[in-house]
Amino acid sequence: MEWRHKNLITLEGWTREELGFFLDQTEYMEELLSRPIKKVPALRGKIVVNCFFENSTRTRSSFEIAGKVLSADVINWSSSGSSASKGESLRDTVWTLEAMAADAVVVRHGEVGVPDYLAKKLKRASIFNAGDGTNGHPTQALLDLYTARQKLGNLEGARMAIIGDVLHSRVARSNIQAFRKMGVHVTLSGPATLMPENTASLGVGYVSDAREAARGADILYFLRMQRERQEDGLIPSIDEYHRRWGGTDSLVSLSSPRAVVMHPGPMNRGMEIASSVADGPRSVILEQVRSGVAVRMALLYLCLGGVR
Amino acid sequence: MKIRQEVRYFRPLLFRPFRKLFCLSPAGGKGFFYRKEGDGEVTAQTERRWTEKASVLGKEDMERILRRIAVEIVERNKGLEQVILLGIQRRGVYLAARLREMLKESEKVKVPTGELDITLYRDDISVLADQPVVHSTSVPGDITGKRVVLVDDVLFTGRTVRAALDAITDLGRPERVQLAVLIDRGHRELPIAADYVGKTVPTSRSENVEVRVKELDGEDRVVICERTGGTESGVEA
Amino acid sequence: MILLRNGRIFDGKNLGENCEDLLLKDGVVARRGADLSAEGAEVFDLGGKLICPGFIDLHVHFRDPGYEWREDTESGARAAASGGYTTVVTMPNTDPAVDNPVAVEYLVARGKRAGASRVLPSGCVSKGRQGKQLAELALMAESGAVIFTDDGAPVSDAKLLKTALLYTRDLDVRIMEHPEEPSLTAKSQVNEGAVSAATGMKGCPASAEVIDIQRGIILSRETDSPIHFTHVSTELGIDAIRQAKKEGLPVTCDVTPHHLSLDETYVLVSRFSPAYKVSPPLRTRKDVKALWDAVADGTADAIVTDHAPYHMDDKDLPFQEALSGIASLECAVAAVLDTWAKTGRPVPLERLLELFTSGPAALLSRQWRSLGSLREGSPADVTVLDLEAIKRVDVNQWKSKARICPWDGEMLQGWPVMALVEGRVVMNRLKDTE
Repeated sequence: MEWRHKNLITLEGWTREELGFFLDQTEYMEELLSRPIKKVPALRGKIVVNCFFENSTRTRSSFEIAGKVLSADVINWSSSGSSASKGESLRDTVWTLEAMAADAVVVRHGEVGVPDYLAKKLKRASIFNAGDGTNGHPTQALLDLYTARQKLGNLEGARMAIIGDVLHSRVARSNIQAFRKMGVHVTLSGPATLMPENTASLGVGYVSDAREAARGADILYFLRMQRERQEDGLIPSIDEYHRRWGGTDSLVSLSSPRAVVMHPGPMNRGMEIASSVADGPRSVILEQVRSGVAVRMALLYLCLGGVR
Repeated sequence: MKIRQEVRYFRPLLFRPFRKLFCLSPAGGKGFFYRKEGDGEVTAQTERRWTEKASVLGKEDMERILRRIAVEIVERNKGLEQVILLGIQRRGVYLAARLREMLKESEKVKVPTGELDITLYRDDISVLADQPVVHSTSVPGDITGKRVVLVDDVLFTGRTVRAALDAITDLGRPERVQLAVLIDRGHRELPIAADYVGKTVPTSRSENVEVRVKELDGEDRVVICERTGGTESGVEA
Repeated sequence: MILLRNGRIFDGKNLGENCEDLLLKDGVVARRGADLSAEGAEVFDLGGKLICPGFIDLHVHFRDPGYEWREDTESGARAAASGGYTTVVTMPNTDPAVDNPVAVEYLVARGKRAGASRVLPSGCVSKGRQGKQLAELALMAESGAVIFTDDGAPVSDAKLLKTALLYTRDLDVRIMEHPEEPSLTAKSQVNEGAVSAATGMKGCPASAEVIDIQRGIILSRETDSPIHFTHVSTELGIDAIRQAKKEGLPVTCDVTPHHLSLDETYVLVSRFSPAYKVSPPLRTRKDVKALWDAVADGTADAIVTDHAPYHMDDKDLPFQEALSGIASLECAVAAVLDTWAKTGRPVPLERLLELFTSGPAALLSRQWRSLGSLREGSPADVTVLDLEAIKRVDVNQWKSKARICPWDGEMLQGWPVMALVEGRVVMNRLKDTE
């Protein structure tokens, strides 16, 4: 397979074949992380800039380790631009990144379309989307897909329930794209106030009753519920949310015998997921976190290490 | 009325078949009203095109040569104690597996055998025509203090072996490393020599030596191919 | 004296079958007929191109006064001429807003000085566009304002709108309403639908437009006063206006080239290019079809560009930060003709040409109503169209200060190649098509 992607901004343009190939490469990357010396010279001399306009220790560290294992030089650049100066910071950022001769820019921003903007402006660097507003978080979807495949094998025809605040969730949007590409049937569930208006256009079903979504599902994916949603009046109370849509043992018991429980983290235990479930036998949440580095290694390697 | 500028293809705006939202990329990346933006695509790599020129070894030749190498390994190491076979991905792995079977037959010893992928250690990715695909690495136990025999199909510039040595150094500290190759085709670019050589085949730079194994290619054969197009640097080993 | 020879003449209603000549003298249309001759006239042989009344754009933003780095009356007027327009109506959402006769006179003078297309100013409905108090409508009308609008925003206070409608009923200058219900559109950047679902960006629902249209129609009925809705973009909005027209109400509307050619998917397909960010947003393909139906059956009275030029600092930004608006004066006619041709000519050509000429002319004050005809004695405003010409849009050649446009780089077919204002040539690209 000829790897033809220079950037990863959205998984939309990836074929199913490419996704499968990518996940295979991830597996080999994982092996690297089990060696005593976790370093290979593949990306030696490449400069990777982590450009995080939103805070994130987890994703950023994950990319940092991935780059360093591959011997790239990783720079961390956080900027908490205030909304007033946002426009300036981005345009100046572009010039600086150009001047730094960055080979890759990992960007997380609170606005939709920022990685696309950088991709248009920076001709040389590969752009990796670590989250743009509510639009997408493709590397999260890749590691979720990888974890699910490791656990369940061939995902064709599997059933997945994504439960929670889909409206504000970039993780949900990217996961819908990724899992659908592999032939998974995705159903959304959650309060109607927290769903996008037009779920049919996303190619997914919607049921308000979480129990219906969970019944027979092979993958139960719980989204983080932010407390601000209650303050905004979008959900009545935390307790009610937990009872109706929370990942409780009784909800999980409705799923298929081989089902796995997933969560993008960080978790609000007792809110969208019960501790007993998060720590329970079906939970692969820890594996998700572990696979994050391998996935990002595969991504950096394939997009940077190959022929240009 | 003469047309002022060259006409490209017309793309009806409204009646473009409405693609489902998540499959919106226009088919084939063309036929698209606006400049394609977003995911920069890698420029297409020139394809290597090879035509077979001559057959060097057949199935029986290959088997005979591998048996001879197996005997030499036993002789040179005065037995098989501490010996580990490491096949270099991809075809070296299959050759190593065969050596192991032969040694099991002749010496009644199961020599620990592993696979080594050296893609991430290559120094020549930017001049390769091939896609640098990573394959598996699995090493049988700790290699420190052992006698590692690297097995590869073709020895050419020596860069693959150099990468393999780097990889091995990261995996442990063997007592000694030896190299077994089925074909040595000359044109070394580094001071690397094989301890066990199946056959020396002089070639020109524009040629390529292909070792085919039943497991991957459906037959056991070694052929010389000639380039009929493509980039300067061919595949090397 | 100018003789335009050998063109098919569109008189605002009908397109002539055969080639005729048009003689322009002393700033007015002198004669129309076959094989005219005129001593001492400058002759242009048009080789069968279309001779139309000068195109009129009822809705442009020239940012003058207050935002001249984005555009000013001169660059705007030259852009209009380059785009084949002979008359434009500027919007009053400037700084200061055009809410008094002095401001109107300033713009009239600047427009004349530009020496390109005719610039007719519109005035605000409310003082400072605040939506609280009525502006000096009659005085502005006397000074030359041809339309009243708070564009950029609706006249949100129903009482104020009703008062304004009553007031303008006898003024011969009508109100142009920007149809939007602000409480539904706050913070929205795209159409509410597939794109907002896919990206999580707040969407602007079709209801926001039709609610304001319904309100305007009811008030128009109550006051028996004409009202015009600008840049109608939804099927729902068009249906409401069609219904009002059936009832015989004095309700009119216009549509934009971008809403006729583009839809919301372009936001995604272009990977969030700010060139597609506009208010009202690009809608669904169903809405686009409804707009073309409105063009066909007469529900739409005019095509306007809503030319919204910006400096790169305001527009060349990530999608959510970029300001909303499409600048298109210099390629709008081509964009419409191109789409029309490529979609199999869904409406008769005359109908389309009406929307550039007699349609908008009928909505202006009495002194300008003859603009859309080419009757003898009417002002010699002419736009010559070449339906076969194919040219690539290049924003770097633009007279406008704007440098971002959805059609940049595109090959479009069907261009205006000559424009005259009161018998004076303001744009001539006849040589380009030889």
